[in-house]
Amino acid sequence: MPGDSSNVNINNKAAAQNTYDAIVIGSGISGGWAAKELCEKGLKVVMLERGEHIEHIKDYKNANKSVWEFPHRGDATQQMKADYPSLSRDYPLNEETLGMWANEKDCPYTEKKPFAWFRGYHTGGRSLLWGRQSYRWNKWDFEANGKEGIAVDWPLRYEDLAPWYSYVEKYAGIQGSKQGLDVLPDGEFLPAMEMNVAENYVAENLKKHYNGSRHLFIGRSANITKSLPENNRPNACQYRDRCWRGCPFGGYFSTQSSTLPAARKTNNLTLENNKIVTKILYDKDKKRATGVEVIDALTNQTYTYQAKIVFVCASAFNSTWVLMNSATDIWPDGLGSSCGELGHNVMDHHFKIGAGGVVEGFEDKYVYGRRPTGIYIPRYRNIYDDKRDYLRGFGYQGGGNRGRGIEVAEFTFGAELKEAQSEIGKWGFGIMGFGEVLPDHSNRIYLNKDKKDKWGLPVLEMDVEIKENEIKMRKDMMNDAQEMLTNSGLKDVNAYDYGYIFGMGIHEMGTARMGRDSKTSVLNSNNQVWEATNVFVTDGACMTSSSCVNPSLTYMALTARAAAFAVEELKKGNL
Amino acid sequence: MERRELLKFITAATGVAFVVGDSMLSGCNTGADISVTFSDADLALLDEIGEVIIPTTTTPGAKAAEVGKFMKTMVTDCYTPIQRESFMAGIPQLKDACSQLNKKEFAACSADEKKAFLLSLEKAAKEFNAKNDESNNVARDKANAAGTAFEAAPPHYYTQIKQLTLYGYFTSEPGCTKQLRDKPIPGSYDGALPYKIGDHAFSE
Repeated sequence: MPGDSSNVNINNKAAAQNTYDAIVIGSGISGGWAAKELCEKGLKVVMLERGEHIEHIKDYKNANKSVWEFPHRGDATQQMKADYPSLSRDYPLNEETLGMWANEKDCPYTEKKPFAWFRGYHTGGRSLLWGRQSYRWNKWDFEANGKEGIAVDWPLRYEDLAPWYSYVEKYAGIQGSKQGLDVLPDGEFLPAMEMNVAENYVAENLKKHYNGSRHLFIGRSANITKSLPENNRPNACQYRDRCWRGCPFGGYFSTQSSTLPAARKTNNLTLENNKIVTKILYDKDKKRATGVEVIDALTNQTYTYQAKIVFVCASAFNSTWVLMNSATDIWPDGLGSSCGELGHNVMDHHFKIGAGGVVEGFEDKYVYGRRPTGIYIPRYRNIYDDKRDYLRGFGYQGGGNRGRGIEVAEFTFGAELKEAQSEIGKWGFGIMGFGEVLPDHSNRIYLNKDKKDKWGLPVLEMDVEIKENEIKMRKDMMNDAQEMLTNSGLKDVNAYDYGYIFGMGIHEMGTARMGRDSKTSVLNSNNQVWEATNVFVTDGACMTSSSCVNPSLTYMALTARAAAFAVEELKKGNL
Repeated sequence: MERRELLKFITAATGVAFVVGDSMLSGCNTGADISVTFSDADLALLDEIGEVIIPTTTTPGAKAAEVGKFMKTMVTDCYTPIQRESFMAGIPQLKDACSQLNKKEFAACSADEKKAFLLSLEKAAKEFNAKNDESNNVARDKANAAGTAFEAAPPHYYTQIKQLTLYGYFTSEPGCTKQLRDKPIPGSYDGALPYKIGDHAFSE
């Protein structure tokens, strides 16, 4: 096992062949972007993916199935729940995506406090399984830590990232509508998907009631509303809303549909599957990484790969896990741990709270097509003159639709029930809040050396909880939802709190934050590890705060920015 | 969201929360694990009951959708042990109740006799479920106060059969393609599609 020298079986012949310009660890949203950018700039890149390969379209085995072709109509079985105890806490455990989430028996983790960790270990990672909501951060998101004295200041500002947002939006393909709001900057959008009559009604009423200070519009998402042949994407979204099974039309952004074909086209990419990176190899005299060590997931053989630069994009916690296992002869807690922040400041978005109700009228209208996005209400708390007893804010996602089934008298069965269950009822409309989580040093992950995974590697222990700021915010998230829907003309409005377990947002952030000072942060303003400047961490691990908007677009922008910087530095001979 | 809505409609139609398995109690085995055996006769009986709940009209009914087989799959694989126990104990109870009311097996009953029998089950289930809800609420409060896990006692076996019939039928091929409107590849979106009363919903 790694770290146990008697067991290390370095294949020297392979080692000589395993030399590249760049190593990219992970093939998800960030890894895919790193590979694309570095390959297109002429570097020979090896992308190391710990899981099996999933080939675009060909391997999406459930993509074209109808609901009746699933024996349990999509539901989780008791056996699935036993096999995936963590995943079974929420909707991701279902028959349609079974096999696309990490095997929890082979890859366990431990919970000092409850934590839901939903991982995708295969080519493309969670880029196949993401919610596709794509929002820019605003200027306040980057300034808040510094102004409020929370954690550390971001070492960059909105203006630094704005051109990179544009760059990645144009390639990934984001549909949305321009709103001209400071709180949610506009981007380079494809034509927006349409809101339905109920959603338009609520949007108008909301605007009227709050004098234009609150907004409701179509959720911006990485579903393409027109084909992008120049990006190798011949088909637009077909409104199937089967994204999670893998899209046979390539209608949404994933590594497979978007960044992997671009990287492959250069002939500079080598994708290696079933390679679990166990550590970054560190030369303490040169203060730089020389490569990585991997264990082959199928053969348990250990190999090394050498490169000039390493992009760590293994998903937030796994990127930090790799750092924790690296250079431990110099820093017992791993590469990047000297500041005392490695593994700390875990963030997510807390949610599963909001309200829903009935929109009366519009009985002569229905909806055709299954739109793969909903509506969005951007943050309005603690901006401009608004001041609450907590910091930061939240946005809402939601939507309206007419459900199947109309009311029947009790004891009804037979033809009357069959008909009633086939027609459609009133318009329903619901929203769910997504709140910012403050970075807190005490929210942390660390190696649990008492528990090992299938390959004898130490697992992560989660010691994370929401704190007072989030708990206070949740009251507003529920009350505001109920109040806004009531004020927007809905009837029978009910608030709900389904209960949130840390991690359920599947937006793990932090644990290797960026900062302005090597004494208080793991990474500098270009995502370089302070102690090893040829190591870049550009996934969720690098985040210094969490905003309340979905984070993936920001990872894309940060990754593309860091890749461009890395190549410039290589050219200058600085790396 | 869509699946949650689907479950909501079944709840509305049966008056009882539709729970397959129990998402909050994953892998939790409360109650005796009984082995499940469905005879061919059981499956035929469930098909026949299903057919009275969702009959063949101008479109196929529950029997064509093989709801008996679907119930077997769901009860065996997705139900928790106590839900399964209740369902399996219900089959002989149902047979007895039919013999008592109509003095013959369900299959041998006339259409009117079948309807009369189902009406008696609807009423028995309503009474049972009201009491069951009450005791569940008490037990839930106790469990919440003690911070222990809680699994609701299942509803009347007839309610289970009715819920699985509705769920199975409206997710079956005939249910989705003949009774509802099936659009596997919509290709576009219209948020103001004209609708008139009597038009059927699109399938999931």
